[in-house]
Amino acid sequence: MSTVATASDPTRHFFQPIIVCLTVASVALTLFVIWISLHDLSLMRAGREKFVGLDNYVRFFGDPRAMAALWRTVLFTTLATVIEIALGLAVVLFLDRDFAMKRLVRTLLLVPIIMTPVVVGLTWRFLFDPASGMANYLLSLAGISQVDWLGSPQVALFSVLIADIWQWTPFVILLVMAALESAPTDPLDAARVDGAREWQVTWYVLLPMLRRALAIVALIRAIDSIKAFDLFYIMTRGGPALSTETLNYYGYIVAFTNFDISYALAIAIILTIFTNVALLTMYSVLFPKAGER
Amino acid sequence: MARRALFYVGLLLLLLAVLFPLYWVVVTSFKTTRDAFAIPPVWLFSPTLENYRTVFANRGFLSAFANSFIISILSSALAVAIGSIAAYGLAQQPAALRRSKEKFILSLRIAPALLFVIPMYYLATRIGALNQHWLLIAAYAFVNVPFAISLLITFFDDIPKELRDAARVDGAREFSVFWHVYLPAARGGIVATLILCVLFTWNEFFVALVLTGRNTQTLPVSITSFLTFQGIQWGALTAAATLIMLPMIVLGVLVQGQIVRGMTLGSVKG
Repeated sequence: MSTVATASDPTRHFFQPIIVCLTVASVALTLFVIWISLHDLSLMRAGREKFVGLDNYVRFFGDPRAMAALWRTVLFTTLATVIEIALGLAVVLFLDRDFAMKRLVRTLLLVPIIMTPVVVGLTWRFLFDPASGMANYLLSLAGISQVDWLGSPQVALFSVLIADIWQWTPFVILLVMAALESAPTDPLDAARVDGAREWQVTWYVLLPMLRRALAIVALIRAIDSIKAFDLFYIMTRGGPALSTETLNYYGYIVAFTNFDISYALAIAIILTIFTNVALLTMYSVLFPKAGER
Repeated sequence: MARRALFYVGLLLLLLAVLFPLYWVVVTSFKTTRDAFAIPPVWLFSPTLENYRTVFANRGFLSAFANSFIISILSSALAVAIGSIAAYGLAQQPAALRRSKEKFILSLRIAPALLFVIPMYYLATRIGALNQHWLLIAAYAFVNVPFAISLLITFFDDIPKELRDAARVDGAREFSVFWHVYLPAARGGIVATLILCVLFTWNEFFVALVLTGRNTQTLPVSITSFLTFQGIQWGALTAAATLIMLPMIVLGVLVQGQIVRGMTLGSVKG
C-alpha cells in the first residue's frame, strides 16, 4: 500500500483522533509526573514547592522501609505467580477428561474471578478471624494449634497470598483449559501409539503445546500481583508491623497519609521501571525466539 | 471404577475449596450475631433478615449503590462508544501499523494506577472536583478505553472482510459500513465488552478510594465503613458484601465465555 493511499484511507480517521488523545494524555501525564517527582511538592503546603533534582530517588534507595517493601513485592509476586501457575496447571491436567457437568464446573470456577476484590478480602479476613474464624476451627478439628493468621508478622503476608491464590488460580485454570481445548489432539495420539507413557505424553507433548498460554497467563498474573492493593488494604493495611507493606501500598501511604506526593510519585516511577524490567526479563525467558510465535 | 470415584472426590474437593468461602459469607449474612460467631460453627439455623435491614437503613450504603450504578454504566458506555470507533479503524489497518498501535495501547495498562491517580487527585483538589461524579466517570473511561479497544478489535476481526468489501462496492461510506454492518454483526461482542467494563468498574477499589468524596463514594469504598465503625460488624458486612457481588456474579455468568478472552485481551480465545 502506498503512502498516499494510506494517508487518504478514511478508516484512519476512526482511530487516529483517539490514539492521538491517548498519546497526548500519556505524554502530558508522564512529563507532569516527572516534574512533580523532581520537586518537593506536598499537599500540606501546595504552591511552595521547589526544585530538588533527584533527591526523591536518592531518598528511595536510602529508605529502609521502601527497600523492605520492594523486597516484599518481589517475594509476593514470585510466590503468587509460581503457585497459581503450578496449581492451575495441575487442576487443568486433572480435569482433562470428559465428565458430566464440565460446563457447570467451568461456570463455578468463574465466581472467584468476578467477585469484587474488596469482598474477597473481607471474606478471607472473616475466615481468618482468630477467635471465631473457619480457618482456626478447621485447624482445631485436625488437632493443630491456632494460628494468628493476620496478626502475626511472620504469617500475615502468606495469609494474603492464600486469598490471592484462591481468587486467581481459577483464572489460570480457565485460560489454560481454553488453550488445551483448542490444541490439536493428533500429536498426543501419535505419541501414545508410539508407546510413550502417559507422563511422557504430558511432559514432552502436552506441556510444550501449552507453553504460550502458560507464558501469557504468567505475565498477566505477574503484572497484577506487583500492583496488588485491595487485598492488602482490606486484610492487613500493610500491618502488622509493616510486615505486609508492598511497594504499591507504601506509595499509597506516602501520598495519602503523609501527603508527600513528590516522593510517592518517585516511588511509583521506580515501581513502573521495575515492573517493565521484570516483564521484559520474563518475556525474553518465556518467549526466547522473539518475533516468532 | 475406583479411579473414577477418586476423580469425583477430587472434583468435589476442588469445588468445595472454590465455593466454600463464598457460601460462608452468604450464609453468615442470614445469621444472627450469636450464630455467626458460634464455635463450633452453626450449620443449621433459622435465617434472619436483620442484617439486610441494617444495611438498607444505612443511607451511605444506598447512595453508594446509586453512585456505583451511575458511574459504572456511564463510564463503560463512554468507553465502548469511543473504543468501538477506534477498534473499527484499527481492525482495517495493515498488520504492522496495527501491531504498533496495539502495543502502545497495551503498554498503557502496565503502569500502576498510582502513577495517574496522584496527579489526578492533585489537580482535582485544586479545581474542587473531588466530590463530583464526572471526575470518576472520566477516570474510569480513561482506564476502560484502552481495554475496550483491544477487546473490540478481536471481535471485529471475527467479522468476514467480505461484508465490508461488499458494502463498499455498493457505495456505502466508511461510517455507514461501521454503523450498519460492523456494529450489528459484532453486537454480541459489544455487549460483552460493555458488561466486562461495568464489571471492572463496579469492582474497582483503588481509584475509587482516592478520587471519591463523601457524595460520590462507590460500593467497595463504602463497605469499608463497616470495618472501622464500632469495630467490625460482620453481620451487616456480609450482607453488604452479598449485595455488592451478587449483581456482578449474575452479569459474569451471562458473559462467561468472554471473560477469559477479555482478561487476556483476546490473546487466548475462550
